[in-house]
Amino acid sequence: MKKIPVWIDTDTGVDDAVALIVASTLPEMDIVGVSAVAGNTSLENAFRNARDVLSLVGRKDVKVYPGADKPLIIDLFTAEKVHGSNGLGGAIIPLSDAPIETEKAWDALYEKAKEYKGELVVCPVGPLTNIATCIIKHPDVVDYIKELNIMGGAAIGGNVTSCAEFNIFVDPQAAETVFRSGIKVNLFPLDVTIKAYLDDDDIAEISSYGNKVSDLFRDSNDLLYKAQERMSRSGLCEHDSCPILYTVHPEWFEGHECGIFVETQGTITFGKTVTDLWTDFKFEDRHCRIYLDINRESFANRIKEAYRSF
Amino acid sequence: MSEKKKIPVILDGDPGHDDAIGWVLASTIPEFDIKAITTVAGNQTLEKVTYNARRIAALLHLDIEVAKGRNKPICSDLIIAPNFHGETGLDGPVLPEPDHELSNLSAIEMMTKVLQEAQEKVTIISTGAQTNVAALLLAHPELKEKIGMISTMGGGLRNGNWTVGAEFNILVDPEAAYTVAHSGLPLQMCGLDVTEQAIVYPEDWERIRALNNPVAKVVAEWFDFFFIHMKSLGWKGCCTHDPCAVMSLVHPEIFDIRDYYVDIELKGRYCRGATVPDYLGRSGNKPNFRCVVGLDRQKFVDVLVDACAKFEGWEV
Repeated sequence: MKKIPVWIDTDTGVDDAVALIVASTLPEMDIVGVSAVAGNTSLENAFRNARDVLSLVGRKDVKVYPGADKPLIIDLFTAEKVHGSNGLGGAIIPLSDAPIETEKAWDALYEKAKEYKGELVVCPVGPLTNIATCIIKHPDVVDYIKELNIMGGAAIGGNVTSCAEFNIFVDPQAAETVFRSGIKVNLFPLDVTIKAYLDDDDIAEISSYGNKVSDLFRDSNDLLYKAQERMSRSGLCEHDSCPILYTVHPEWFEGHECGIFVETQGTITFGKTVTDLWTDFKFEDRHCRIYLDINRESFANRIKEAYRSF
Repeated sequence: MSEKKKIPVILDGDPGHDDAIGWVLASTIPEFDIKAITTVAGNQTLEKVTYNARRIAALLHLDIEVAKGRNKPICSDLIIAPNFHGETGLDGPVLPEPDHELSNLSAIEMMTKVLQEAQEKVTIISTGAQTNVAALLLAHPELKEKIGMISTMGGGLRNGNWTVGAEFNILVDPEAAYTVAHSGLPLQMCGLDVTEQAIVYPEDWERIRALNNPVAKVVAEWFDFFFIHMKSLGWKGCCTHDPCAVMSLVHPEIFDIRDYYVDIELKGRYCRGATVPDYLGRSGNKPNFRCVVGLDRQKFVDVLVDACAKFEGWEV
């Protein structure tokens, strides 16, 4: 079987950790690189967490590159309330002893994209600062990336403001740079990721597996669970696993062709992803797909299977 | 048993086919006492929509003066919608010529007069840009207490239509919409959420045409014309926007109405003029709008048809 070469860009983060863990177990996927970006937590935390999680799942072979420590233009805004001061909800896992990469995320991604000659799928699950920087520094990267499967944005509503989602809100200018680049985008916004949850039974099941990876799950998710309770949602939304699992199971997701851009100049709409999905007015550039529905059962089962496998 | 007091009503709009149909409906509602019609630039230029308003008043035998309002938004340039409503702003059937002089009062003066004289709280039905209403509130804050309700057609909680972010009436004058939204008055908003479900299909307006009275025939022909553009956008019928702002006041049981805090975006590359709902109450602000977000389409059509039937035996 020919594996899909995938690059994961993450602000690792509690649900990012789940996404990395799930990705590491997918036989259909070849993780050819991981890059860290500031977002949920500082770059330092995100970089360390990505390395440590990969080491925990026995994938020290996957190289992790450091990226941007702040958004392109605005100040960094993190989510410690949800991800804790260390980014993993306070859970402690062993430090990775893999060699520390110093090449910048955008340069490493560019080289890898060229190497795979247009076959590389990139899954950004944090703010899009690294991807935007790559596009700005290496404009021809748009010819080499097959598609961007992005977790971010919301067609309706938001989770930081009434109409903006965290990843896009943290760096709207980077997101707009990416959406205007012409690279094909599959967007997994809140509309679908809030349907991509593990229910209380799923959580209990994973927590009971009793392996070191499921222990991390058990110990890292309290803050995220409470944050979702505050929004009247039970269970855990596995936002970042959506683009990962879509990459190998697109049939679990329902998407629509549309144009997507990011409001970077609004007062109350700053960081809103605007889509022409429901409007008479259509953007000229409609190279994106937005995913609004998911087969939750298959999604949750695949995540459970991943944790069971350790 | 004392007769129930009627609600004094001001119709403020930019007719426009759907404004016109909304006014036909309003004129048949027994609870309403229409005190004034005021016009505002939007669907077409102020001169054109004012002439249209006077012709509609003549068609409906309304014994009131039409007062001309603002010819441009509070602080931005005018945009118009000739592709929807034609060169006259109300293309299609032949209408009677105006039978009343144009008021020598401006729309703001007319609204002020109605409010000052009203014994009951006044309902303002705004189906165009909210320029006149905002100007009234800014010029005469002391008259706010005389306003019982401002019912607007405009915006959309989920989407826009003229841009991705904004619906036409709000986009024409976002600063006016902002003034109204933050007025503290009871407000109702019929946005695209409901009005794009308020679809009248050709077979529906054939029911209206078959009534065979002079007003019903005109209404059917307005739908004929309005459908030309709707069809080109891929719609199978006409989104009958403005009548929602009228009908939801007297038939709330037909509509799905929710209370939300809604703010108006004044800036933005894509979102100027967007009506932004705070669904989860995260802003901490209390709801400022009754938002009409859905309806029973068949009942909506039946009420429109019944309204048009009330003109049986009329002569124009």
